[in-house]
Amino acid sequence: MKWRYLKQTLFFGIVRLSFLIIALSLGGLLLYITINGIGVISWDFITKMPTDSMTKGGIMPAIVGTIYLTVGAICVGLPLGVASAIYLTEYAVQGRVIRIIKIGINCLAGVPSVVFGLFGLGLFVVMLKFGSSILAGSLTLGFLILPTIIGAAEEALKAVPQTFREASLALGVSKWQTIFRIVLPNALPGILTGSILGVGRAAGETAPIMFTAAAFFTAKLPGSIFDEVMALPYHIYVLATAGTHIEETRPMQFGTVLVLIAVVLGIDLLAIIIRSRMRRNKRW
Amino acid sequence: MDVNMIISLQNVNFYYGQSRALNDISMDFSEKKVTALIGPSGCGKSTLLRLLNRMNDLIIGTRVEGKVVFEGKDIYADHIDPVEIRRKIGMVFQKPNPFPKTIYNNISYGPKLNGLGNSDLDTLVEQSLKQAVLWDEVKDLLNKSAMTLSGGQQQRLCIARALAMKPDVLLMDEPTSALDPISTAKIEELIEELKKDYTIIIVTHNMQQAARISDETAFFYLGNLVEYNKTDKIFTNPDVKQTEDYITGRFG
Repeated sequence: MKWRYLKQTLFFGIVRLSFLIIALSLGGLLLYITINGIGVISWDFITKMPTDSMTKGGIMPAIVGTIYLTVGAICVGLPLGVASAIYLTEYAVQGRVIRIIKIGINCLAGVPSVVFGLFGLGLFVVMLKFGSSILAGSLTLGFLILPTIIGAAEEALKAVPQTFREASLALGVSKWQTIFRIVLPNALPGILTGSILGVGRAAGETAPIMFTAAAFFTAKLPGSIFDEVMALPYHIYVLATAGTHIEETRPMQFGTVLVLIAVVLGIDLLAIIIRSRMRRNKRW
Repeated sequence: MDVNMIISLQNVNFYYGQSRALNDISMDFSEKKVTALIGPSGCGKSTLLRLLNRMNDLIIGTRVEGKVVFEGKDIYADHIDPVEIRRKIGMVFQKPNPFPKTIYNNISYGPKLNGLGNSDLDTLVEQSLKQAVLWDEVKDLLNKSAMTLSGGQQQRLCIARALAMKPDVLLMDEPTSALDPISTAKIEELIEELKKDYTIIIVTHNMQQAARISDETAFFYLGNLVEYNKTDKIFTNPDVKQTEDYITGRFG
């Protein structure tokens, strides 16, 4: 009897400790970045162009670039991912081929992002001649987050009760109309939830945009989707490894990291707000 | 039987993969009557019901042999579109399954996607809800979510939704099994009313219900049609011993 209680206490202790380790390291990380970076954060820092070989001034073009690339990635990844998920869950005859495709998609989620970068370089930059540009970068990031979005969309579609589909089909409504009018609207909040994960990844990745979109420095903001952009993750990489005064720009590096985290959280927040709006409108 | 036939099954076999769920069923459903399908769980009555509007198509690995003739055509013939069949043969399910939409949109959903205009929709929604004896309860709540209704109201909404398509036949799969006695009574009254205009085929586990509301009753056992006759006859003087045993509660 006593041993059982001991085991229970021990188990709770381990679980609690695991949580503590996670919470502390995450909190520590945020705290460390904030303490080191908050000093440089100012209105000028986020709204001005960099000056003096990027050792002074702001990081506005990198913020703008990251937002462009992230939004672009969503525009590519979301429709493509949702469409694929609809095919996989609603239309495809479930069998060995589909199972293999699904496993393949899951494996794709684990492929190192630099591989996506090289793929983007080969296909979009070189073969399709988009050059290093917002378009090529968005497409590459879009493909990078595709597995995440397909996975989320599949789960969300499967979570829509079969009775809704039956009710609609029994009314003599076609399969496509049923999917479009009943299944998809009910799956959308779930799809968005899952896609948030993809968004964070798209905003934060460095390797895929290194070859396909990111510029070391641009003198002005991009004028079209065929222009190169600066981007926050790449800017951090540049400042920390290839800048002219690496040590002196440390605070700027931390400041940029802080901004990157804020941008990712901001995009997440937006998705969460849209999602809760949708849920409220459904009234059930 | 003497009245007009609306659906006729001719030597129908039905398979889920390798296992046969219906054995050589031949039967005719009469127009504007209530036909009850009874039998113990797994006897094939729900399978048969879902076969009539091709809902079984949704289940992978099912197969139909024989003919199901509706309006002179075999609904399982190659050129027949199941969507067309389902427009004419409506269905109400065991558990109320309104869409997570407003009451109005639940009713207008089907007709709208089949190309009915907005002005006609208002009339149709009112008419359908009246037919389902739900209008007085919900006429001021048409823009409220259907999910706010009680179970019994939801089921009547589902009936109204099916009626809005102006079907010829209404299939009901244990429509009251998830409802309380008062809601059940309302649905039964409704069925009495509806049979003036519609052919109703209802699966039920409730013997009294079958006896109360149906004109004809078919008893199924292990995928076989054991006995099919006027309800009065089945419940007072069945020809087959098995039928008698089942309706008197000796098994099942």
